[in-house]
Amino acid sequence: MKRREFLKLSTTIAGAAATIYIPSGWTPAKAAAKWKVGFSQCTTLEPWRVQFNKDIQAEAKNHPDVELVITDGQDKTEKQVADCENLVVQQVNVLLISPKESAGLTGVVEKAIDAKIPVIVLDRNVDSKRITQFIGGDNAAIGRAAGEYAVKLLGGPGSAQGNVVEVWGGLGTQPAHDRHDGFHAFTDKEPGIKYLLNNQSGDWKQDQAYNIMTTALRNNEKIDLIYGHNDPMAYGAYLAAKDAGRDKNIRFILGIDGLPDEGVTWVSKGQLTATFLYATPGAEGLRQAVKLLQGEKLQPVITLPTMLITKENASEIMKKNGLL
Amino acid sequence: MKAFRALSRTKLYWGLLIICLIGALASPHSSSGMNIFLSYGNLTDVLRQVSITGLVATGMTMVILLGGIDLSVGSVMGFSTIICAMLLTKSGWTAASIMGVPAATAVSFFAVAFLARFVFSGLARGRDDSAGRRREIALGPWRSMRIPALLGFVAAAAVAWFTVSQVPTKFGVLGVLLVTPCVALLLGSLNGLLIVAGRLQPFIATLAMMVSALGIGRLTAGQDHAVVAVYTGTNATEAFEVLRSMLWGVVPMPSVFFLAAIVLFGAILRFTTFGRYAYAIGGNVEAAKLSGIKVAQVQFTAYLLSGLLAGIAGVLFVAQYRQGKPDAGAGLELDAIAAVVIGGTSLMGGRGGLSGTFVGVLIFGLLSDILQLQNIDSNVQLVMKGLIIVCTVLVQEQNLGQLVARWRFRSSPEAGAEVRSVEPNRPLSAPRAQFAREDLDEAS
Repeated sequence: MKRREFLKLSTTIAGAAATIYIPSGWTPAKAAAKWKVGFSQCTTLEPWRVQFNKDIQAEAKNHPDVELVITDGQDKTEKQVADCENLVVQQVNVLLISPKESAGLTGVVEKAIDAKIPVIVLDRNVDSKRITQFIGGDNAAIGRAAGEYAVKLLGGPGSAQGNVVEVWGGLGTQPAHDRHDGFHAFTDKEPGIKYLLNNQSGDWKQDQAYNIMTTALRNNEKIDLIYGHNDPMAYGAYLAAKDAGRDKNIRFILGIDGLPDEGVTWVSKGQLTATFLYATPGAEGLRQAVKLLQGEKLQPVITLPTMLITKENASEIMKKNGLL
Repeated sequence: MKAFRALSRTKLYWGLLIICLIGALASPHSSSGMNIFLSYGNLTDVLRQVSITGLVATGMTMVILLGGIDLSVGSVMGFSTIICAMLLTKSGWTAASIMGVPAATAVSFFAVAFLARFVFSGLARGRDDSAGRRREIALGPWRSMRIPALLGFVAAAAVAWFTVSQVPTKFGVLGVLLVTPCVALLLGSLNGLLIVAGRLQPFIATLAMMVSALGIGRLTAGQDHAVVAVYTGTNATEAFEVLRSMLWGVVPMPSVFFLAAIVLFGAILRFTTFGRYAYAIGGNVEAAKLSGIKVAQVQFTAYLLSGLLAGIAGVLFVAQYRQGKPDAGAGLELDAIAAVVIGGTSLMGGRGGLSGTFVGVLIFGLLSDILQLQNIDSNVQLVMKGLIIVCTVLVQEQNLGQLVARWRFRSSPEAGAEVRSVEPNRPLSAPRAQFAREDLDEAS
């Protein structure tokens, strides 16, 4: 009896909690919309993905005849597949997808195309020739830009000197390898540049980079440049150096991503030397979808350009995003 | 054989010593010829790095001693980092303070009320008189729940006043240190409630909490914030830096919390009836129940404390890494379980203790420090950590003396059998249950 009462009570509480939360997350469909665009996001746990969603939502406000439906795959392939199937059933006019991984989501993309829904793939590609368009940044190009800039900071081509700490993103992930290879395409030509760490992965996380840097600082008395595969890791390394009282000895810290409230803010405070924009394809993706709906033909691939963000242009970007 | 027994009983500490030796011998040297591994700064770095896992592992040890498991600690820790970071950086009634203030008020009421009742009933029990009988001191209302409840009410009012006064401005260090663990404690007690009253298996109940605490954390932070950044001095109080400083320039603050937790809960497990009951329940639940131990109470308390410690770990995470994020503790529960198991606590319950966990946590931390100093590839590091878990547990479970005896006396099985019978290092559930029984007699 007691147990049944307990179960009843807990169900009631859970139900009450759910009713409180649902209204905040649920928005009724716009009745006036002419087209329905579905967007399957793979996760919203990372700041970059949050910015991605913000960008696409901001762009959607410019197109009153488009109703945008966003789903969150919660970083699980099977959840994202289910999301896409659901969007197909809802008969969206265009499907935008930013897949968690290529192999697991190719099938459902093909399925959508079979159902006569054009698919625009964002950020990471899938293994299908039938997609309408792919929009994404080029990690290798960003890595090259960072490498070129690093060589310039350390003394210019041919005479660059310095000890470099590189903090990897996830070791098994393509972006990390691209950012590494692009960087080394420039720095490996310089005999004066020494690499202090051997494939140390901070898994894209500020706290893990902090701990790697703490030990690296004990182990090496002279560090000239830190290259983090993303901004939070570069910032984590900066914090470790600051806590050890050695942030003044490290001359340059480079990051990648350039989110307004992260990398750009840290650059404007002088904590990072520079960051390289890895633009989200959110706004561009929706613009292309609208073009397609209006009957235009799309080019198969759009590569988003990067941008060097230093102290000079950081405050301008922050102003544009309402942070200053 | 005596030497073997001594060696076998202290093998964990030898393991720690061997790891230290390897670290010292293999360590790179600085330009002034100093051994980097043995340098004071490096050792305090290790102590600081293990503190968060260590705090969580302390709670985990108690839960595992009872034969349970708490998978939710990582998510609860992540949730606490969100609560802590939001309290520090946002003023007014945010989701964090709406949850935090009532939680702190409720927890302080119950904590003070139960503590007062415990103390008063202890006083009332009195000492044995000359005839060996207990003399009951008439304390009347003090022993009943009335006075303790009154005291609890006063404490709750004080806490409510204090926390509400912090809401319009941002929370200070004391505020977050009080509120955040209270919220985590409530989540832990919900675990306990599900397991004790709902009779769910600990694995299931805490798995559910692990999933939902991550969700609650994300809802609390809001969809626009995957990370809540804490910049002390600009968007949060500068005093918060105390929690990542060195205490008197000697010990890193996070490890002060860790060491205090180890000492406090180690003493509780060793010297109090609660601790004895925990071992008895872990050894044999049925026997413990039949002995009149209030199994449900002890289990509930253990899960509650596990949540509390995860909450404190969350505050320390924010202090160290300047951010709160819902997935801050992803994988932490597994690290904690690994440290507990390396420390010789049996996953079946009833065997082990906090001194083992302390050493286990240190072995794990020193190992990753050594690998990092050797500049070994991150992937290789993962493999090495897996190997260490397997090796230490093999040595723990396979009695070291037995292994050596088998090797030495392979030709004469009798000799081996003799050695085996000398080794007392088997599960001691039956004698322990008896011990608890004695405690019970003493208490009644």
